[in-house]
Amino acid sequence: MVLFKEVLLPKCNESGGSSGYLPLALIMQYHIVVAVAICSAVFVDSRKIRGISLAYRKFYKEKKTFLCLDGSKIIPFDQVNDDYCDCLDGSDEPGTAACLNGRFYCTNLGFRPCYIQSSRVNDGICDCCDGSDEHDKRTRCPNTCRNLGQQERAALEAEMRAVDDGMHLKRQLIKEGVSMWQEKQNQLKDLQRILSGLQTKLEAHRKRKLEADAHQAKVMGVLKSPGDGAGGKTAARIFGQLDINKDGSLTVDEVQAGVVNLQDDRSLTEEEVTALLGGPGPADLFRFQQTLWRSLQAAKKVKIKADLRGDLGPPNEGPATRAAPSAARQGEANLKEMEEALETTRAEIGNLEKVLSTDYGSSREFLYLQGQCFQLVVYEYTYSLCPFSHVTQKSSTGAEVSLGKWRYWAGPQEHPYSRMEFEDGAPCWQGPPRTTLVTLTCGTETALKRVREPTKCQYIMELWTPSACEQQREARRRGVHSEL
Amino acid sequence: MAAFAGRMWMFWAAWLSSCLTVTVAVDRGNFKTCDQSAFCKRQRAMTPGQSPFRALLDTLELSDSRLTLQLINDNNKVRLLLELYRLQGNMTRVKINELKPLKPRYEVPDILVTDPPTEPLSVVSRDENGVVLSLGAEACRLIVSAQPFRLDIMEGPQVLLSLNSRGLLMFEHLRPRKDTQSDPEGSERVEDPANADQPPTEKAPDEENAKEDESGMWDETFKSHTDSKPNGPSSIGLDFSLPGVEHVYGIPEHADDLKLKTTDGGDPYRLYNLDVFQYELYNPMALYGAVPVLLSHSPQRTMGIFWLNAAETWVDISSNTAGKTVFGKMLDYVQGASETPQTDVRWMSESGIIDVFIMLGPKPADVFSQYASLTGTQSFPPLSALGYHQCRWNYNDQEDVRAVDAGLDEHDIPYDFIWLDIEHTDGKRYFTWDSSKFSQPREMLQGLMDKKRKMVAIVDPHIKVDSGYKIHNEIRAKDFYIKNKDGADYEGWCWPGSAGYPDFTRPDMRAWWASMFAYDQYEGSMENLYTWNDMNEPSVFNGPEVTMHKDAIHQGAWEHRDVHNLYGFYVQMATAEGLIQRSGGVERPFVLTRAFFAGSQRLGAVWTGDNAAEWGHLKISIPMCLSLGLVGISFCGADVGGFFKAPSTELLVRWYQTGAYQPFFRAHAHVDTPRREPWLFGPENTAVIREAIRQRYGLLPYWYQLFYHAHRTGQPIMRPLWVEYPEDAATFTMDDQFLLGRDLLVHPVTEEGARGVTAYLPGRGEVWYDIHTFQKHNGAQNLYIPVTISSIPVFQRGGSIIPRKLRIRRSTSCMENDPYTLFVALSPQRTAVGELYIDDGHTFAYKENKFIHRQLTFANNTLISRNLVPDSSFSTASWIERVLIIGAHKPSKVTLRTADGAESPLEFEFDATSSVLTIRKPGVNAGADWMMVLH
Repeated sequence: MVLFKEVLLPKCNESGGSSGYLPLALIMQYHIVVAVAICSAVFVDSRKIRGISLAYRKFYKEKKTFLCLDGSKIIPFDQVNDDYCDCLDGSDEPGTAACLNGRFYCTNLGFRPCYIQSSRVNDGICDCCDGSDEHDKRTRCPNTCRNLGQQERAALEAEMRAVDDGMHLKRQLIKEGVSMWQEKQNQLKDLQRILSGLQTKLEAHRKRKLEADAHQAKVMGVLKSPGDGAGGKTAARIFGQLDINKDGSLTVDEVQAGVVNLQDDRSLTEEEVTALLGGPGPADLFRFQQTLWRSLQAAKKVKIKADLRGDLGPPNEGPATRAAPSAARQGEANLKEMEEALETTRAEIGNLEKVLSTDYGSSREFLYLQGQCFQLVVYEYTYSLCPFSHVTQKSSTGAEVSLGKWRYWAGPQEHPYSRMEFEDGAPCWQGPPRTTLVTLTCGTETALKRVREPTKCQYIMELWTPSACEQQREARRRGVHSEL
Repeated sequence: MAAFAGRMWMFWAAWLSSCLTVTVAVDRGNFKTCDQSAFCKRQRAMTPGQSPFRALLDTLELSDSRLTLQLINDNNKVRLLLELYRLQGNMTRVKINELKPLKPRYEVPDILVTDPPTEPLSVVSRDENGVVLSLGAEACRLIVSAQPFRLDIMEGPQVLLSLNSRGLLMFEHLRPRKDTQSDPEGSERVEDPANADQPPTEKAPDEENAKEDESGMWDETFKSHTDSKPNGPSSIGLDFSLPGVEHVYGIPEHADDLKLKTTDGGDPYRLYNLDVFQYELYNPMALYGAVPVLLSHSPQRTMGIFWLNAAETWVDISSNTAGKTVFGKMLDYVQGASETPQTDVRWMSESGIIDVFIMLGPKPADVFSQYASLTGTQSFPPLSALGYHQCRWNYNDQEDVRAVDAGLDEHDIPYDFIWLDIEHTDGKRYFTWDSSKFSQPREMLQGLMDKKRKMVAIVDPHIKVDSGYKIHNEIRAKDFYIKNKDGADYEGWCWPGSAGYPDFTRPDMRAWWASMFAYDQYEGSMENLYTWNDMNEPSVFNGPEVTMHKDAIHQGAWEHRDVHNLYGFYVQMATAEGLIQRSGGVERPFVLTRAFFAGSQRLGAVWTGDNAAEWGHLKISIPMCLSLGLVGISFCGADVGGFFKAPSTELLVRWYQTGAYQPFFRAHAHVDTPRREPWLFGPENTAVIREAIRQRYGLLPYWYQLFYHAHRTGQPIMRPLWVEYPEDAATFTMDDQFLLGRDLLVHPVTEEGARGVTAYLPGRGEVWYDIHTFQKHNGAQNLYIPVTISSIPVFQRGGSIIPRKLRIRRSTSCMENDPYTLFVALSPQRTAVGELYIDDGHTFAYKENKFIHRQLTFANNTLISRNLVPDSSFSTASWIERVLIIGAHKPSKVTLRTADGAESPLEFEFDATSSVLTIRKPGVNAGADWMMVLH
């Protein structure tokens, strides 16, 4: 039979507010406790009610008998707090150490009330700030509640202010985040526009080249050999590509400009080219088809230079046009630039998409951390935390070691954005790869505040950031109200 | 932090290049086999049968206390001097040395607590081939036979023990070096005055030279190390025969079963203190410590052999019944064809003399007191040292220490000591603190003191060679370092890099070392800081077998060879002395050591070294500590959880449960393993571990009383069953369960996934009670006990009374004034006896009768507390809270009579299902006389 509802009281050693959730109620409750204690002092006596909170006093009213709070047993009231454990639930000895499972209520006037384990009553260590747990007089405990209360109130107020400031900063960061996000989105759009522009241009470029080649082949009067349709056509196209001055024959120079060694992209020597063309002197399309073309098709030794591949030939140049070789090369260079620009744009888009696909919190309040790094020196090591990227440790002797790469948010369900997990750092000697867990704490500045390595190669860091501040909640009330 | 891995790498690479993964077991190649140890090989090459020794009866001299007699080796005419002593307490001492050695041979000092008192020997009869001596009144005779020489100790018609009965006495006399090329003085041997009266050897010198060269007498190389052996061969060996004996025990430290195995066909058991990286189980390899004491046991008699020699020692054991099946033995018995079972033991040491103490029992308890009279008893530790110890290599900094301390409190887990391993120092300079991680050691210690807790910091004997280090400078200035063979300070490689090794065999060095623990010398120390001596084998990473070169030189020109197994003993001795001195002789010290020798029990606690998180290692912790207990060292424990590797949760839980019932209870872990503080494995496992530790704290009054007895009498704390049931042959090989004192039987669960264990409850006609359920079981039976993860099968003997404190608090000193609950477990005769011992828990005041010692007896329905110390001058605030009478009938009333004659009724409850009578709150002071009657 359960007669009472568990009242949530803090343990004595629990610190006041922890960042993020400020117990507003706390500040108020000190005053309430004072009032209550003064009232109750009138009818309070003796050891019988020792260690009992106000809310429970009703169960300990002076009678002939006492019913253990779990209802398991009735004992003479004399046996309450007589330093012998009678009740299975320990409820007959709230003021002594007799029951292993009992608890003692520290009134802690001026500070906050709390429960301690019965085993801490009269053990020579002052646990309640009012010293009430050491009532056997062997140990003298000064009453430190007033001081603690003042300190804690000051600390709480400071923390409240800090959280307020933090929240203020956070709102700014969220705002900044919104514009940053927008900026990045715009950036992405711009890039995508540039990309499609480039693609269109390139497409046109290539199309013209294709037409030019086809035209050239026709002009040259080169007929495809029977049964070799596609091959002949391709051979003709490649021939056209290599034939820079479009004179219908390939010189050694021209081959050297367009064909390279398959393995290492090395340019070919004159001897090699002569051998590839089956003899000295310029080669016409037919000879090309019989010699170099076969080598290219076999792909054993040589290949078309990368920047020529896929190029369908210079635009706007008919076979009749005899453009200078320099002009032709100019065209090639433009093409190359255009392609490079295309690649760069693609990469930028990729990066930006990656950045934009990362989770920066419910209001993107952590977006501002993107691209930043924070450092802390601990003993002989400099730690560097780059959120959403990586963590490193640099020793004073200079060696830098990866402590992990960004993986995911690892906070509990209620606070998913309270922890960051970095994994797969440099492997430990004889051990697994290093990992780092970053806890985010509400602060008015963004800074790496603490690094620990409780187990070798498993790092725990504490990052302060306004973005971790959360609205003060009422949930952290400290119990007094429920007792009134 | 992680660069630590770098540093680790440096020295591990230096000495363990072949042993690179944490998961592999010992690299056997790093350690010698008997074949690779030249003297062992030479000794073992000698086969039984042809002892060259003859006793020269005409040289017999008998004084009141000793008999001397010369022995001659008929092969080389070298004479030995035999000394026989009859010692008080039914012991015989046999000493054999060279009659005129070339130079003195080492005799082990400081191990015997006194010169053992003798009793008169008398000659009963003698003839041309022998002398019969009387060893006192019990028809005990010592027979000296002249040719071949042998000694037999008889009781009535029974031979108890024989020496040299197999003719394996071997005594390599010191000799000058013969090969003139490397030692020009060698050729003068013939003129040597010491040997002038002896005829030259019969063999041609060349022949003998050749033989010597072969056998590594003048130098010996193992791996890359050469032992220069300037003194040449010096080994000794002797065999002992034990007729009627099938079970021998002792000679720790080995990771092996309790009952020693025969060594035929394998290596002998080796005693040579070594830092064995990841030791293997079930083999005779040497480990960190050595106690050259062997116990023999048969249903009729228990005896002991103490071979007082500190050099490398090997022990061969053979038995004429080994290998016979039980059926074979029975057949022998039925057919009457059986020879008497016999065990033969052969001791072989590299140098020194033969100095043997034969402890004649006859009961196990007699052997323990006999041995204790020689080497002393277990030191009486501060009560707090019997609590739970929280250790790890390493707690990283003060904040870490604070957090672990807070974590234990938060999870309501009691503990008394938190430990700091080598990383707490400034660069492995012992007696110092890392200036950033432990910048305020006193503040940290004060924080622990405020919680009534203590700390242990490591102090190893290797001293960093660094001219900026005070300790090193002083040792060098005082010339206290051990020297290498060339006379320079010996330097070896250890944790700090290059290190010197102070010569702890020097009394002046030990006195100086002790003075370093003074509060004004050891900066940052406080009275709640205690010490741990590790690596004191000594461990030398780049030395032969990871230890010191045998030709290193100690004070008095003794070689390290002579004193090796003593080094760790002396380190702990000097450290313990330091802790005593710093308190002005008031406080009891607490020092843990890894290396040890006979007598180390006087100095503190021992642990079984760097074990591993494996089930086999959990299991072996029982025989390893039992073996140590049998040879006096009761304060023994194994690293809870296992040092190397990460334990599974189940293994960790089971280890806590086992460790809670072993004398030294410390969790420890290697730096590379994940954290394993007790609350890191989920609330259920935290609860189970908490419960195991709470059981330990509840039973501390009993533990403390056991330590008091061990300290006073030398009786072991953790006992094999046969010690209390010497005639019950079923117990002789048992080492998966044990007794604590006489009254608690523990069968910890050491099998993975166990659903039950089978415990053997000894004692026909006795009963045992499950301490958790109070269920009664008959003795002399195998009992199957179903177990869950929270089970620790423990039984209290019917007929015993065990005091407990059931208010479990944060530490032992928090529980100081708490009341006692007496657990009275009735025998079938409805009687029980027990004791209650109380003192201040930490000073030497008990030596001045400042303690309470009471006898508790239950008989005729009356429980009486009687004073055992009439002139006791100690008082306690503790009182008797509750009495549980287990196996009781329901009384109509219970009354209490106090010393003033007042009689008062007591309330009680009776649980008929468990037959447990709980008497409520007698309330009498624990030091008072009182009597409780059940009507």
